Amino acid sequence: MKILATYSIKGGVGKTTTAINLAHEAAATGARVLLWDLDPQGAATFFVRVKPSVKGGAERLVSRAGALGANIRATDDPAVHIVPADFSLRHLDLELDDTKHPTRRLGELLVPVADRYDVALLDCAPGITLSSEGVFEATDALVVPTIPTTLSERTLEQLASFLAEQSRSPILLPFASMLDRRKRLQRELVAHLVNDVPGFLRTAIPNASVIEQMGTERAPVAVFAPRSVAATAFRDLWAEIAERVWT
Amino acid sequence: MVEQLSSPEPASDLDRHPGQCVAFAATFDTVTRSATFPAAGYERAAVELLTDLGFEFGLPRPTTTTLLDTFDGRLHRSGLRLQMTDGDGVELALSGDDTTPAHLVVDAAPRVPEDLPSGPVRARVAAVVGERALLPRLRTSAQRTRGLLRDAAGKVVAIADVHDEVRVLDRPDAHLVATIEIHEVPGYPKHARRALESLRRLGLVESETDTLAQCAAAAGVDLAGFTATATVPLEPDMAAIDGFRLVLANLATTIAANWQGTIDQSDPEFLHDLRIAVRQTRTVLAAAKHVLPAEIRDLARDEFAWLADLTSTPRDLDVYLLEWSSYTDPLGPEVAASLEPVRDLLERRRNDGHVALERGLCSERAATLMNTWQGWLATPSVRDGLPRRALRPLGPLVAKRIARAHEIVLEHGRRIGPDTPAEHVHDLRKDAKKLRYLLECFGGLLPKGARKRYVKRLRALQDNLGEHQDAEVHTHMLRAVATELHDIGASADTMLAIGQLTERLDQQRHAARIEFAERFADYDTPATQRALDAVLDRITT
Repeated sequence: MKILATYSIKGGVGKTTTAINLAHEAAATGARVLLWDLDPQGAATFFVRVKPSVKGGAERLVSRAGALGANIRATDDPAVHIVPADFSLRHLDLELDDTKHPTRRLGELLVPVADRYDVALLDCAPGITLSSEGVFEATDALVVPTIPTTLSERTLEQLASFLAEQSRSPILLPFASMLDRRKRLQRELVAHLVNDVPGFLRTAIPNASVIEQMGTERAPVAVFAPRSVAATAFRDLWAEIAERVWT
Repeated sequence: MVEQLSSPEPASDLDRHPGQCVAFAATFDTVTRSATFPAAGYERAAVELLTDLGFEFGLPRPTTTTLLDTFDGRLHRSGLRLQMTDGDGVELALSGDDTTPAHLVVDAAPRVPEDLPSGPVRARVAAVVGERALLPRLRTSAQRTRGLLRDAAGKVVAIADVHDEVRVLDRPDAHLVATIEIHEVPGYPKHARRALESLRRLGLVESETDTLAQCAAAAGVDLAGFTATATVPLEPDMAAIDGFRLVLANLATTIAANWQGTIDQSDPEFLHDLRIAVRQTRTVLAAAKHVLPAEIRDLARDEFAWLADLTSTPRDLDVYLLEWSSYTDPLGPEVAASLEPVRDLLERRRNDGHVALERGLCSERAATLMNTWQGWLATPSVRDGLPRRALRPLGPLVAKRIARAHEIVLEHGRRIGPDTPAEHVHDLRKDAKKLRYLLECFGGLLPKGARKRYVKRLRALQDNLGEHQDAEVHTHMLRAVATELHDIGASADTMLAIGQLTERLDQQRHAARIEFAERFADYDTPATQRALDAVLDRITT
């Protein structure tokens, strides 16, 4: 099982929509996917119509072996399961801090289900916190949505510097998110990122209304708009990620 | 196994041991429970009942399902199921070893794992299937009406599939009236349980297998497939003729089972298994002197020799082509490209060989051989007028034959020096094979651990002899092909590439020949003799 995470220091950059659509695309290529909603806001859980509730809350989830398996729910995509969010995840850092090896704990929780899935996709809350460090320790790759602004590039550099200092760090897979192709400045910035930032993915996800519709459709874009530019972009993005992670 | 409804609800289906997950631990396309209808007409009542529970049913859709597996049921034996459903598009689902099925949209049924797009499904299938082809083991058709139960958020929490007019394709006699399957959605067990309880109250009888497995049972298809094994249960004190007949009957079953697949060429392993069983038959017949009546033994020996000869060229070329990339890849892409005309010619020859083999297998002579042979094996042996060793105890006779085969390997092996012609090395290889076949075919008499330890020693020698022989045969083939290609004006690049490949094969042959002395010295030791004694100890007297 490969462990990926959609992660960004910044909020509102498209992490959750990316996680939902990548989970769908991975499943379409034959992968068995476990989505883990680590964001107490529970947006990923909302998109798959699952109740945002974890038995015993974050405390039991973190402290008990096998608790992750007990909270797995099927989504309407048969090959995608989810560990839903819970509002108590806002205390996740505190719960992790109570464990023996706080930054190893998230990875340890995934071990019992590792032979049941090909991909685990963690949808993370923004910021650099103790749980983020646990994500960095557990994952093979960080998928980082990057909105085309100069500040985002700076944030990406901060993340890369932070990871470089860690003893174990995942592959960094940044990509352009919420790109408005009508704006020349954004196009130029993305071209610069793709050409000059090591590992920056070629596929850009557009700033499209069809992605916003996910909130009302509560489904991946490919389900209700399979021929849209956004659906194609997510398919291409998954292909690019799979190529990087599995080869 | 069907889980009892009264059992306490576990924390999660995913936490259950896979062996305990038959009943409730599956998702949309893996059967959790199915209830069979005792008579037609129940399906309408069931749908009405489920509709009352909140299930929303769509329109009936014609669905064709093809179960893919190897001839020897490798996926089934690994707890996996690969099925292709042709309804709204063609979808391939891999399920069974856990609770999460994997899905792929495909254009056509994959024949080998490499036909699947690269990814987890291909990797998982390839890991189990190995070199065997995926064959349609069962094809069914039905009118499927799917019902979905959703919660307040619109999330699907249980699924019902009503299969009407269920048929096994190509088997009009295998016909189920209707089935209904209730699928639990992981994380939402109560909804499926409620539906099942209601169906039971309606009088439906729950079955332990799903619709596809019921179809297989109705059609007499064993999902475990056919596995060739040379070993049959034997007793040392049984009459020799009875033991030999049991062994030969088992081999005849393997030959017959692989017959049509060899003709169809749907999987190169059919020819391999048929050829091995024929060779084993010949070895056992040779060992059956004064055990089997001379007239049937002589007839069978002549006719199986003819059959074995028919299989030689196509199998040698099958192996050559299967190993082609391992020969050519080390030479680099340019040389490999220059060798394409060689490969084309070898393929043509292989195809010609298969045509000749097919003609032979479909001939009157082959039909007579198999009918006569299987007929004789199926007829109880008459005790009068039998050859002089027929009624002697099997154990000592087999021990003597194996010991003699071992002596022959030693005698012939000791005569081989650096300048001995390759034919003699090949003969030694055949001697070693005969010994191995005797150990396998009469394995039912021999202690398993001791046999395994001895075979390990023999196999080390056989591997070396095999490497030598493959390189030798393939070099000869290549030289013959080179002459033919030269005569028809092949390019200089191709001729140069043939030279490089020939040199490479010759190096392999030479290396194997040098290594032979060491391998044989390892085999020709008191330790090997002790290992053999341990094998035969129990049956010698």
